[in-house]
Amino acid sequence: MPALFFPRRYPPLLRVAAFVLLSIVIAALSEKHPNMLNWSGNLTYPIHWLDLQATENWRKVSEYLQDRRSLLAENAQMREKLKTLEPKLLENEILHNENRQLLALLDSFPQPPGKMAVAQVIAENFSPGSQLITVNLGSRNGVQVGQPVLAAGGVAGQVIHVADLSAQIALISDLDSSIPAQLAGTNLPLLVNGKGNIHWLSVPFQPRNTPLKAGDQLVTSGLGGRFPSGLHIGTISRVIHNGDEPFAQISVQPSVPLGQLTTVLILLNNNTTSRPSKP
Amino acid sequence: MNAVALVIAFFLAMALETLPSGPVYGMIHPDFVALLLLYWSIRSGSELSYTVVWLIGLLQDMVMGNVPGGQAVADVLMIYALVNGLVRVRHLSVWEQLVFIFMLLFAHRLIVWSWQLWSGPVSWHFSLLLSPLMGALLWPLFTYLLDYLRHHLLASP
Repeated sequence: MPALFFPRRYPPLLRVAAFVLLSIVIAALSEKHPNMLNWSGNLTYPIHWLDLQATENWRKVSEYLQDRRSLLAENAQMREKLKTLEPKLLENEILHNENRQLLALLDSFPQPPGKMAVAQVIAENFSPGSQLITVNLGSRNGVQVGQPVLAAGGVAGQVIHVADLSAQIALISDLDSSIPAQLAGTNLPLLVNGKGNIHWLSVPFQPRNTPLKAGDQLVTSGLGGRFPSGLHIGTISRVIHNGDEPFAQISVQPSVPLGQLTTVLILLNNNTTSRPSKP
Repeated sequence: MNAVALVIAFFLAMALETLPSGPVYGMIHPDFVALLLLYWSIRSGSELSYTVVWLIGLLQDMVMGNVPGGQAVADVLMIYALVNGLVRVRHLSVWEQLVFIFMLLFAHRLIVWSWQLWSGPVSWHFSLLLSPLMGALLWPLFTYLLDYLRHHLLASP
């Protein structure tokens, strides 16, 4: 195997040290210029494409292997679910119309939802700290860095890198993620941070006498203009008032099943271009 | 070794790393690329170039979306440690080899984990142990499978 950069006449330890140094330089540069490696998505697309094919084929095989009885049971279950959802949908429609009428009276129409794109998850990286997924839409489809990503239930994450045919999304549980939020039905400003664990998020900097309690719903506040307001983030599952700590420890259960995402919605009419900011 | 077969093997190993199969798979699956590098290094002796190892690691960083350089450094240091202990490894029993492979994979995992500190605080998680453990447990099967493929399908010496 030919030595490409460092000929073998140099001692192995020196070559290893040179590669460590080179890696540190690359890491430092990428931290300073987050968009530096956007092009790498094009290079790695064939590998992600292979992931997509494997997942698709596995799904087809699973569906094929399901017997008739389980399919009938699933069908019956879906019909039951539809029965309960139909009245709720109707109620939702009535409330929506009523809401529009009230907003018209106040002369403050909500912003239109804008253009959205449905993307398929083609790769995941769920190592401790990193909670990243890759989807099959990229800059050719109008995806840009900073665009919010939704899934059934609420907010899923935010686009952090874009290649021509794919985009990488940091989930709201990623350690770098931080979303301006508020308690549903109030204007209490909050932040919801990722903790590197898909099952829970946290609300930092809340005093020990915080009004927040288990069961409270958190939604996006719209502050900063990155996420539209009113989108579900999660439900507070636990509030711990530790006597030694200056702040309460608040755990939030995400409203989106972050570990089971297969398709997501990307809000395309968001023109921001920076990485999600830390609190 | 057959270069095309190696490229395909690394391609598949990287695809397995990012297979969308949920968080449990994400936590426990072994680092297939690191296992392949160890196998390649043990079987090819001193043929392995640190440049190639570093480039493979860098490509894996890009595939996984990690801070670039973490996998690359971990791969280079792991292979350096292996090459230095290679003569001894060949004389170890299978169980002793498993312990050695576990230690290499765990050190590899720790380096990758530490590298993530570039982007912010990363909390310790017990699953950091699971992946190297799975890798070490799968090592005999992994080597048997690759030896079989090399000798029966590629017919290489």
